[in-house]
Amino acid sequence: MDFVNNLVSGLLLGGLYAVAALGLSIVFGTMKLVNLMHGQLLILGAYLTSMLIAVIGGGDPLLVGIAAAAILAVLIYPVQRYIITPVMAQGEEPPMTVTFGISVVITTLLIIIFKSSPLPTWTVDYATTQWEIFGVRIREIYVIATGIALLFVLALMWILKRTAFGRQVRAASIDAEAAGLVGIDVKKTYARVMSLSSFVAAIAGVLIALSFSVAPTTGTGWLLRAFTVVVIGGLGSLPGTLIGGFIVGLVETAGAVWIGPQYRDVIVFGVLVVILLVRPNGLFAKVAKA
Amino acid sequence: MIRQIFGFIAKFRDPFTYGTAVVVAAVLYLTASSLDRGQQNDLTSLFLLMTLALAWNLVGGYGGQFSLGHSIFVGVGSYATAVILTLLGWPLIPTMIIAAVMSALIGLLLAYPLLRLRGPYLAVGSLGMAVAAYGWMINWDFTKASQAYAMPKEAQVDFATMYQFATVLLLIAIVSIVALVRSPLGLRLVALRDNELGAASIGVKRVRTLLPVWALSGLLTGAMGAVYAVQQGTLTVDGTFNIQFSLDAAIICVIGGLGTLSGPFIGAIIIYFLRKYSAEYQNYALLIEAVVLVIVVRFFPAGIVGLISKGFRAIVHRRAAAQK
Repeated sequence: MDFVNNLVSGLLLGGLYAVAALGLSIVFGTMKLVNLMHGQLLILGAYLTSMLIAVIGGGDPLLVGIAAAAILAVLIYPVQRYIITPVMAQGEEPPMTVTFGISVVITTLLIIIFKSSPLPTWTVDYATTQWEIFGVRIREIYVIATGIALLFVLALMWILKRTAFGRQVRAASIDAEAAGLVGIDVKKTYARVMSLSSFVAAIAGVLIALSFSVAPTTGTGWLLRAFTVVVIGGLGSLPGTLIGGFIVGLVETAGAVWIGPQYRDVIVFGVLVVILLVRPNGLFAKVAKA
Repeated sequence: MIRQIFGFIAKFRDPFTYGTAVVVAAVLYLTASSLDRGQQNDLTSLFLLMTLALAWNLVGGYGGQFSLGHSIFVGVGSYATAVILTLLGWPLIPTMIIAAVMSALIGLLLAYPLLRLRGPYLAVGSLGMAVAAYGWMINWDFTKASQAYAMPKEAQVDFATMYQFATVLLLIAIVSIVALVRSPLGLRLVALRDNELGAASIGVKRVRTLLPVWALSGLLTGAMGAVYAVQQGTLTVDGTFNIQFSLDAAIICVIGGLGTLSGPFIGAIIIYFLRKYSAEYQNYALLIEAVVLVIVVRFFPAGIVGLISKGFRAIVHRRAAAQK
């Protein structure tokens, strides 16, 4: 029974990892941008939600989180439009350096405002409830996270395939210059993609804060986890990100059981390094559809 | 007239660079006793920061490989020094040299697989390695895991000696980096960075060129870690395998000017004084640093050195135009 227990909790933990990685995946898939501030966007989503709850004086974190996600999306739009996009002409590394710089700005601002102590946990039932089904114990919040992961993957795929915005995004990602020639405002499209990504990231941040302890400096660890997920799933592929999340969740749970929970990070990032070295384009690398 | 002066300097560029470095270092070395202990300690910190940035610049600037794994070298250099001194009881200076060599070997070991990655992937791959190394060290009982590792008595030197170590190390860093960058190997390195396909087509081998460069960078960063260990007196995993070292080095080089000789110096001085005079407001200093980094990349991609040389060139051109 232990085995089934670990298998299920590993998979469901993977659902949470997949949500956390989705934003990174769409940004990379469309702009070929390695967004080093993604981890901080996740954390910022959680903090914004916490602030909103304090302002409203209560409320369900996930519902308030939607409002926080919208705010974050609006805040990030000009950052992409006026700071990151102009730098993208310089090559691959300068925009990465800029996102890194912004990530430090976010972290230090959070430390200055909230000190470096962890975010106080929200007292909601579904964060602590455990279900027992046929003797298998599962955390309700992981089930919710996995459900949201599936929902987001389907929604994002629908947006990219079926809407006018999605067609613009795909055109810009295949050939930005040609997209510009046929009248697509590539710079605005990029900024919208980053907004969409931070919206998803903020919701993921709320889910993270509901499941784990969150502090201003925890962003980097989540960035690397998200990156591991994206690399395993094939860069830029949305269903791949979902599968990658499940794999990382399983590997981490297995490692924690067999080797020891304190080696979680070593195992996950060891896997990341090994996969990058063996298959630099990801395990399931195909031509990215998204 | 100006052109002749420049021509003269260009002709004697190598001896001029080495000569200046040696003379300045000799003066600094010999005047150690005239400084008070606070100054010696401050200058040690500054020189170590410069050495770190210079060593990173070799890989990140000249090589175009944005490494975020250099904290591993600092950690290996400092912990190797502490462990060898404690377990084998060797004299300090040979220990530090061996520690640096071990760090260079680690550099080879990490670079060999990392070199399969390019651009942002290399950055993330090396960051993953650094975090994995940190996770390993914080659990490794051999180096007292997360507890502090006190440096043994042999490592307790006075401030003047420590300052002299840092001076000599900085001199070694400058001379070896200038020698490497101006050698055929250095030309191949820059050629690979600027146009990998073009360089490959004229027979430049990527791995064979980059491995020695990573080894030298690892050697210098490891030596910096060794002197840092002597300065600190007590080691912690948080204080040595901290990703902050890689970030510091990258920020310094980007602000000063990537792939230039003077960039790391200028960047290190700016960052050092920014931190020194805002010690009580540590987070604000980091905030300012990050904002400066973003502004520099956004508006002055060539860094401060690029800005200065642009201004300089403009003046020379105006002179030349006026003479015509």
